[in-house]
Amino acid sequence: MTSLMPLTTVFPGLVWLMAALALVQGLRRAALWRVGAAAPVAWLDGLAKLPKRYLVDVHHVVARDAYASRMHAVVAGGLLAASILTALAILPPIAGFRPYWFVVALAFGVTAVGSLLVGARRYPSKQKRLSAGRFQILPFLLVAYAVGGTATALLLAFGIGGVFAPLALALAAAGGLGLAFEVRHGPMRHAAAGALHLVAHPRPGRFEGRPDTALQPLDLDAPRLGSEMPADFTWNRLLSYDACVSCGRCEIACPAFAAGQPLNPKRLIQDLVAGLSPAEPAYAGNPYPGGRQAQGERGALAGLIGPDARIHPDTLWSCTTCRACVEECPMMIEHVDAVVSLRRHQTLERGALPDKAVGPVTELRQSGDPGGRPLSARTDFAAGVDLPVMAERGGAEILLWLGEGAYDLRYGRSLRALIRLLREAGVDFAVLGAEERDTGDLARRLGDEATFQALARENIATLAKYRFERIVTADPHALHALRNEYPAMGGRYTLAHHTAFLLELIRAGKLNPARLPDLSVTYHDPCYLARYNGETEAPRAVLDAIGVSRSEMARSGKRAMCCGGGGGAPVSDIPGERRIPDIRMAQAAETGAGIVAVACPSCTAMLEGVTGRHAEIRDIAELLLQAVEAGR
Amino acid sequence: MTRPRRDPRAERASIQVAGEARPRFDRTARRTGSGRPRRDPRAERAGQRVAGESRPRYDLSQTVRFDAAVITEAQPKTAAVAPPKILVLENPAFLVAVVPDAPGGRLSSHDRQVLGAARALAGREGGVAILTLGPCEGVGPAGADRCLPLEAVEGYDPASQTARVAAALTALAARHVLFPESLDGGDLARRVAVRLGEPVFTNAEVVAANGLVRPAKGRRVEQRVAPGMLATVAPDAVAEYGGPPREARLLSVDGEAPTPSPQKNPKRIVSAARVPADPATVPLALAEFVVSAGNGLTDLDTFRQVVAALHATPGASRVLCDAGLMPRHTQVGASGTVLAATCYFALGISGAPQHLQGVAGCEHVVAVNTDLHAAMIERAGLAIVQDAQVVMPALLRLLEQEAGENA
Amino acid sequence: MKIVVLLSAGRHPVSGAPVLPRMEAQAIRIAAALGEAVGLHAGPDAEAVREALGLGLTHIEHIAVADGLDPVPALAARLAAMAPDLVLAGRRGQGGPESGIVPYALAEALDLLLIPDVVAVSGGPDTLTLDQSLGRGALRRVAVRGPVLATVHPDAAAPLAYAFGKARRGTIELVGAAAKATDVPEAVVEERPYRRRPKLVKGAPTGGSAAERLKAATGEGGSATKGRLLVEPDPEEAAREILAHLRQIGVLADASKSAK
Repeated sequence: MTSLMPLTTVFPGLVWLMAALALVQGLRRAALWRVGAAAPVAWLDGLAKLPKRYLVDVHHVVARDAYASRMHAVVAGGLLAASILTALAILPPIAGFRPYWFVVALAFGVTAVGSLLVGARRYPSKQKRLSAGRFQILPFLLVAYAVGGTATALLLAFGIGGVFAPLALALAAAGGLGLAFEVRHGPMRHAAAGALHLVAHPRPGRFEGRPDTALQPLDLDAPRLGSEMPADFTWNRLLSYDACVSCGRCEIACPAFAAGQPLNPKRLIQDLVAGLSPAEPAYAGNPYPGGRQAQGERGALAGLIGPDARIHPDTLWSCTTCRACVEECPMMIEHVDAVVSLRRHQTLERGALPDKAVGPVTELRQSGDPGGRPLSARTDFAAGVDLPVMAERGGAEILLWLGEGAYDLRYGRSLRALIRLLREAGVDFAVLGAEERDTGDLARRLGDEATFQALARENIATLAKYRFERIVTADPHALHALRNEYPAMGGRYTLAHHTAFLLELIRAGKLNPARLPDLSVTYHDPCYLARYNGETEAPRAVLDAIGVSRSEMARSGKRAMCCGGGGGAPVSDIPGERRIPDIRMAQAAETGAGIVAVACPSCTAMLEGVTGRHAEIRDIAELLLQAVEAGR
Repeated sequence: MTRPRRDPRAERASIQVAGEARPRFDRTARRTGSGRPRRDPRAERAGQRVAGESRPRYDLSQTVRFDAAVITEAQPKTAAVAPPKILVLENPAFLVAVVPDAPGGRLSSHDRQVLGAARALAGREGGVAILTLGPCEGVGPAGADRCLPLEAVEGYDPASQTARVAAALTALAARHVLFPESLDGGDLARRVAVRLGEPVFTNAEVVAANGLVRPAKGRRVEQRVAPGMLATVAPDAVAEYGGPPREARLLSVDGEAPTPSPQKNPKRIVSAARVPADPATVPLALAEFVVSAGNGLTDLDTFRQVVAALHATPGASRVLCDAGLMPRHTQVGASGTVLAATCYFALGISGAPQHLQGVAGCEHVVAVNTDLHAAMIERAGLAIVQDAQVVMPALLRLLEQEAGENA
Repeated sequence: MKIVVLLSAGRHPVSGAPVLPRMEAQAIRIAAALGEAVGLHAGPDAEAVREALGLGLTHIEHIAVADGLDPVPALAARLAAMAPDLVLAGRRGQGGPESGIVPYALAEALDLLLIPDVVAVSGGPDTLTLDQSLGRGALRRVAVRGPVLATVHPDAAAPLAYAFGKARRGTIELVGAAAKATDVPEAVVEERPYRRRPKLVKGAPTGGSAAERLKAATGEGGSATKGRLLVEPDPEEAAREILAHLRQIGVLADASKSAK
């Protein structure tokens, strides 16, 4: 049995060797993150919360795909358990305890089953959203390590030696060292970087149950504005991109990708990863629609954006900032922050806005409205309606923020309905009228942080003049800016979306809607209300209060698909093969509902613009007004 | 009672259109049946003025009737068929000069408006002199009492042109000189102004003897001054001259020979060539005549033939551009191009609000659509409820036939 | 090649905020494509033209001229010292009287060749080719030698987007030139708030009674202004009507003329 004695040392030694190799490979990669800018990280807090973040928050996202969830639990759990148990066997008392090796064999056995589940997603044919390349080797490495490990452990458990032991050990070593090697450039990087990313996440608020979605303000006195090259990102952002496991859930969720615009969030993140190091293997997932294959220069100081660089400007401007990719990402990567950071550099430093967006952004900067319309014309939609103005009243219980939609003829109808409802309920409200400027949402999403901050300062100064308890707005983009982004600029307000406020009025008995059971309605969630603010229930509760027959689209709530109207995408107008609102209206048509209820001026405009649609587009306020009038 | 009694019956009889069974009346005709002479309060006032005093004094006991020039307008209707009498102003008290663009030897409507403005400045005593480069037709009916054709400048030589006009104006000694505020007219006016060292009042929107008014400081204020020597008149601000044709007597000015160019180095313009706008490629926002295709069209080849045959610029609705049937840059509407065309010809376009925003600035709209209730039909000056698919070939046939007849 | 862009302190047509006039922003774009350009502004305050730094200029020279004084002598003196190959200006300044006379006065003072209403410039310091707008997309291509002053037409390429970072890095230099004895105040004129006047209605009768003119203006005067509607006509008839209408408007040449 002398030959067995080395095996009990060699086998755990192999795992220790793997760990050492993984550490070396990991450190080689981690050295690259050091080019990134400094970022404040609460290390101890993050480490303490890592298990919860992984088991609750990550799992919540992973579990949306039941197969992937089971697969990952088995393979990752098994791998981790088997490797740790084996590593512990370096201690002689444990190594000599044969039943222990049965437990190890069992753990390796579970890993082997998981490995087969991993393989089944890729062989005989790969699922479309997954990347190929090095990921295709992963099942073999896993199977080799798991099967080799199982065999070795069983040999140890039964005390059998002979020629089998070196063979089994060799198999395990091939698989295991292969996996460890992959920590630098391959699939296993996601495990190391992912864990570290959960600790040092740039938006820790996401794990505290609140929607931490506000863009972080940019210091306009910084020597360089926005991100031009990998080195301009903070180090923990670079780390977060390395956590990407190329699962492709983001590309399925992305509206621009679905419309054939040249954006694929997975490819975008992988381009950020690859841009950091020339040694990165070639990308093997779905490309950007449009078939562009430019590679560009690589390196921490190489420009990322350009017609010949890795990322074409059109890719950047296709994003609607709807956060669907962020919502779906199991690795908690913040794609939209990356897009906006890159846009900031293009806009602020290079003035490289897309041609069609130059006009609206210029007008926003010069006149406080993207259409260059007089601010006093904002209340024109209410001609004939008595609309109290703050400047005359000095204060009111509710400040009604009208937003850009007020200039739109179609949306004026929704706002008139809202105003009539407020009157009906006897709400004490007033508008800013000619003093209201755009919140700067459009400028900020397009990267023009300077204009956003200037507008925010002006609006905050205006709001400081008046006394009010809450701001109610029908525009989720204004809601998000005022509620989540103005605090960083020094303006703190209590906000309510009009759907939430109307629900309050109904519940307080101030509005008594009749029931309209004849209407079949499906509700389209605005991204800036559902994903950015987590409000999905109030609009549905209002619809239920008026008793319409409500059906849900396949994608709804926080996982709803964007209408294409956010993030300046309508003004950038990057051509694709289809239009996003057409896709969304087709999804609405699948429910068979006669009315698509909306709660956002952008959604109204985008969905109304779909030709050949059969469903009507009605704001929730319009539907409620109809019910209230029917109830008289 | 100096005022004669009206005879409504006779007035009515005089405007009856002859030769119709059912009585019809032409109410646009002047009511001359009563033989009531038109009063000219200004002339009456002038007649009451006591002569030979520096401070105006009036003798109100006198009532002077002038059957002066203007009253010749008030002729009986029957005389209108004969060529209208040409108004002759023998000795104008002063001259108001007009320098028109006159592209291709014809007055543009802007030129006519400037003549109307000049007429307003000239009043009764003054005369309007038009100063054209090369021959120009129809200046008399547009209100010119005098005409001074200058020799046209060869090629593009603004300096010599300026010198020639400035010399003529100096010789003419006009009290006021008006230019159209157009590309060429505005340029010439400013060149003449700096040449003569006179201020120029640009872009006047109101032209009257008591003052010229122009917008300034981003249209936030308007500035008013008494008419100076040089001014330019904004387009579509002043009415054309509407009175009877004037004499447009040819003038010649001494020393018309252009002074040599004052520039030390005259051959600084090496060459100048006109590049006419090609309707097929001109940017949509600049096009004058746009023919646009919408969802009601299926045969885009025929559409392209129609566009070419009409020498128009092609446009399209958003749906066609989204579908990739027409290039994106042809899209008309709020999210495409907002047009400034004179005429918009919509084939198979129903007229979504965003699309109509794009054609809001078009003066004339012609629409062909199958839907009587389409917004585009409502907007159009000529609306045809018919399938554009069958109208297009008919248009092509007709254009071909016309071309054949004239060949 | 040395390029100078003349800048004026404009105001936004709607909001009244101090902005760089669009045509000057377009001039900067033209200049930036040709080479290094310097901005030149004469006025009481240089902050008004700081925006130009974000639109493609890196340096602006500012001549302090008190409000209400003629900027031409100061500009002419400075331009004579700089001796540029190309001077670009908007076809009309903005924010002041907007007479557009300054480029002409400068051209006269410096004996510069002036080419108005330019939409594009190409070439080098020896021979410049300028595309001059004749309206509606028609151009006159003028090749010139030696220094030239060009004014920019609104049909030129749209301005570049404003880049905050560039504006931050650009410099404004005060080059003195206080009011001299030759500086005369501009003619004093009577000013009042702008009153929008109705545009003339084309085709409306100039004579006739007020009621008739009103009818024509409000579109109640029959077919010409109200619009004709033909429901389900014969296609041939429809074609005839369309061509007749197009000819009446004047966008389509007469059949007899087009054949010549």
